[in-house]
Amino acid sequence: MPRTKTKLAIAVGLAMLALIAIQPLTVTSQTIGALEPRFGETIVALHRSESAGATSSEIGELVILLNNALALNVEALKLNVPSDAPRRIELLTQVDQILTTVENRAAELTAVATQRTFTNKVLAYVGGAIAAVLGTVAYAFLTSFYRRYRVKRTFEMRVTRK
Amino acid sequence: MSLISSQNRRTLIVVFITLLVVCEMLAYVATTPRPQEQFFQLYVLGAKHMAADYYPDNDPTIRIGEPVTWYLGVTDNMGTAQLVSIRVKMANQTIRPPDDQQGLESPAPVVAEFMRFLRENETFETPFVWNVTDAVSSAGSTRIVTLQINNETYQIQNWSARDGYNFRLIFELWTWQTDANGFQLGWTASGEHRVAWLQVWFNMTSPRPT
Repeated sequence: MPRTKTKLAIAVGLAMLALIAIQPLTVTSQTIGALEPRFGETIVALHRSESAGATSSEIGELVILLNNALALNVEALKLNVPSDAPRRIELLTQVDQILTTVENRAAELTAVATQRTFTNKVLAYVGGAIAAVLGTVAYAFLTSFYRRYRVKRTFEMRVTRK
Repeated sequence: MSLISSQNRRTLIVVFITLLVVCEMLAYVATTPRPQEQFFQLYVLGAKHMAADYYPDNDPTIRIGEPVTWYLGVTDNMGTAQLVSIRVKMANQTIRPPDDQQGLESPAPVVAEFMRFLRENETFETPFVWNVTDAVSSAGSTRIVTLQINNETYQIQNWSARDGYNFRLIFELWTWQTDANGFQLGWTASGEHRVAWLQVWFNMTSPRPT
């Protein structure tokens, strides 16, 4: 019985190793069509960053990376000869790395932009309240000054016979 | 004795509340993004970067191997980054063009595709240099066999025109739809589906005989 368990464990281990070893081969089978959903996912990540308040220049950096990935993908797609397989694998691995980088950066950007947008909103609303207080104080001073001016003018009046 | 009379205090409270409402409204306007019209611009320009001079010597009859230079461009005015694809299709007079109302693509075969990520307000423009590298004629019908676009050669399947007149290149704008997880002809803005496409006609009246 223990021997059967050991065999089973070895079989499971070998199966896992085979899966890990097969991983790079799976990448080679990707075409532009196969990668489309992955590119689509990155667009969703970009939209999330934009909604969080990321600026156009911040998004622009990611867009440049994505266009590089598209160009590499197109280049890989042109390599149809079996002898080009290593180059194709290399290109598709690069595409995969770029997409992972973009997804990670987009996630970071979303977090940063969310924080920044929240801070900006708080500052804007607090600034509004401070402006209202300052405006009220200014109004109080002005009315007080005007009242004192009127009183002064009243005491400066002279009665003259007509 | 109070420094401010009760009447003055009431006036100050009213002034403060009024200013507070006005300032907070300004803060809201400043921090809320304004809605804008969402659309794409798709264009094809001639060799001189203008909407003219589309053919060599202004003659729409193209000869085999004669290069034609256009500029193909798309601008993203959607307010967000977009993944777009311009699909180039070869058609004759009888094939149906894209349907704006139904949002249907042209059934003509795709010859080439230009995919690009665009950020907000960005324009992607690429030279579109093409020439017919091979065309054959038989029984009054001209068939374009191969087409070269930007130094890439594309095979055209069974596409012919009577006496070589009224061929056309159709440019369709496709965009990535995040909810459908795929490309869609045109785009959806404010719940409305819109389509952008262009076509340029040409003739090929000097093919090689079969």
